[in-house]
Amino acid sequence: MSKLLKIKNLHVKGNGKEILKGFDLEMERGQIQALLGPNASGKSTLAQAILGNSKYKVTKGSILFCGKEIKRLSPEKRVKLGLALSWQSPPAIKGVKLSRLLEKISKNRNNTEMIEHLLDREVNLDFSGGEKKAAELAQILALNPKLVIFDEIDSGLDLKKTETVAKTIKKLLLDRKVSVLLITHSGTILNFLKPDITNVIVDGRVICQEKDFRKVLRSIKRYGYDKCKKCKLSSN
Amino acid sequence: MINAKNANYLQIDHKVKNIFGLEGVIVLPSLQAWLKFAWTRPYFTKKPKEGYFVWVKKQTDFPLATCLTIASPKVSQNLTNLMVIEKNIKAKANVICNAAKNNLYGSHRAQGKLILKEGASLEYDHFHKWGQKDFVSPDYEFILGKDSSLVYNYQNLLPPKQVSLKTTIHAGENASVNMNFVFQGRNNSKIDIYDVLHLEGENSQGIVKLRLVGKEKSQISAKSSIMAKAAGKGHLDCQGLLVDKGSKISLMPELICHNKKAQLTHEASIGKISEEELNYLRMRGLSEKEAIDLIVSGFLKQ
Repeated sequence: MSKLLKIKNLHVKGNGKEILKGFDLEMERGQIQALLGPNASGKSTLAQAILGNSKYKVTKGSILFCGKEIKRLSPEKRVKLGLALSWQSPPAIKGVKLSRLLEKISKNRNNTEMIEHLLDREVNLDFSGGEKKAAELAQILALNPKLVIFDEIDSGLDLKKTETVAKTIKKLLLDRKVSVLLITHSGTILNFLKPDITNVIVDGRVICQEKDFRKVLRSIKRYGYDKCKKCKLSSN
Repeated sequence: MINAKNANYLQIDHKVKNIFGLEGVIVLPSLQAWLKFAWTRPYFTKKPKEGYFVWVKKQTDFPLATCLTIASPKVSQNLTNLMVIEKNIKAKANVICNAAKNNLYGSHRAQGKLILKEGASLEYDHFHKWGQKDFVSPDYEFILGKDSSLVYNYQNLLPPKQVSLKTTIHAGENASVNMNFVFQGRNNSKIDIYDVLHLEGENSQGIVKLRLVGKEKSQISAKSSIMAKAAGKGHLDCQGLLVDKGSKISLMPELICHNKKAQLTHEASIGKISEEELNYLRMRGLSEKEAIDLIVSGFLKQ
């Protein structure tokens, strides 16, 4: 059986500048992986490039999803194949209520309990950080995906809220065998979701892959991202 | 939206198909009103040929509805409408002007006068829906007495090839105006909008909101003015959204102040569809067209 996601030697440009410089990643079905990295290492670019954001141009390499090359597909076609992205900073869509967007993207109105109070509000307009993440999650669930990429879902959340978000992800996605790629700067959420593999990205490439996320977190805490290249884990 | 068959006044081409008043509400063809009520004559600039007269003398719980339709080819309507709301009466009116088919080459010219007497209030929802080959030229004037209030919502999402819309509002002492114009250009349509709010009475106030969408090589030109002769407050809010390359929007907000105690402000902008919003919605599975339509519909609701 083919891998769920196989990214090979991916080079991506944004605003004329090369951001991803030979990125590799493989994911199995039902797996949860983490991608840690410092600011401007290419984490969000990767997420947007996988989903086909027109702002980012794939100049080299491949993105195979369920064995199919998707790098030339439109974002909506990638979504229909089963990919979904929870945005780090989702834009406001003025004049469009969240309930209307949910109706548009899915006829299935399940899982709106956690966002009942947001349904009559304009999408992401004046939402708090927590509300944005809840709205993102509700939209993701409406898409019924095979693989969800969470871009900094834990940023700006306190420990308690991070735990709540992690529990929701576990209950609504992981327990249903949906695969998850967690992109995180701080790594706090990993303590609650316990990824199968943790990757570290520095300067547009994966420099470290490790099964024990605690080891990676400890190493980063000790050496910082700047010294990641030199640490023992990265040579594994 | 009203059902045209239940309209208090329904005119198709030149023929009045339906006309009925309510308790305390008189509805007549304009010509009959001109003949029957001498007091209406100063409001008509000349003897009317066609159009409606609505006189709201008593409070009614039901919204009034009028419908002016072009259903046959090459019909040229030349309407003179008059609506009078008596003192302290609250009224709501739904007004539809439309073409029944797309390629009728019709012409719809309408002169309307709406009189709100002291303390009266009117919510006036005006919908236009035309065929691509029609020519449309409405010219409406609202005269607001002391302490009266007007909410005027005009929506034209299916404009004809050419439309010229003129609206003039005279606001008396303590009168308030809330005017919302929504226009969506399409298919090479040429749209000219000219509206002017005159703040003529002490403490009169008004907000004028324009939402214009230029798509499919349409050309929209909007001049929106507030003129303060008295110590009133006015605000213009003009926003345009250009959806494609061949379309054009010209916005000309204008504030003219004759009174040092008046406060007039405006904001105006023309933008394009945000690439980020478009990408976001496409990543929710919407096609590019579906995403644009959703962003445009949201913009028009702001």
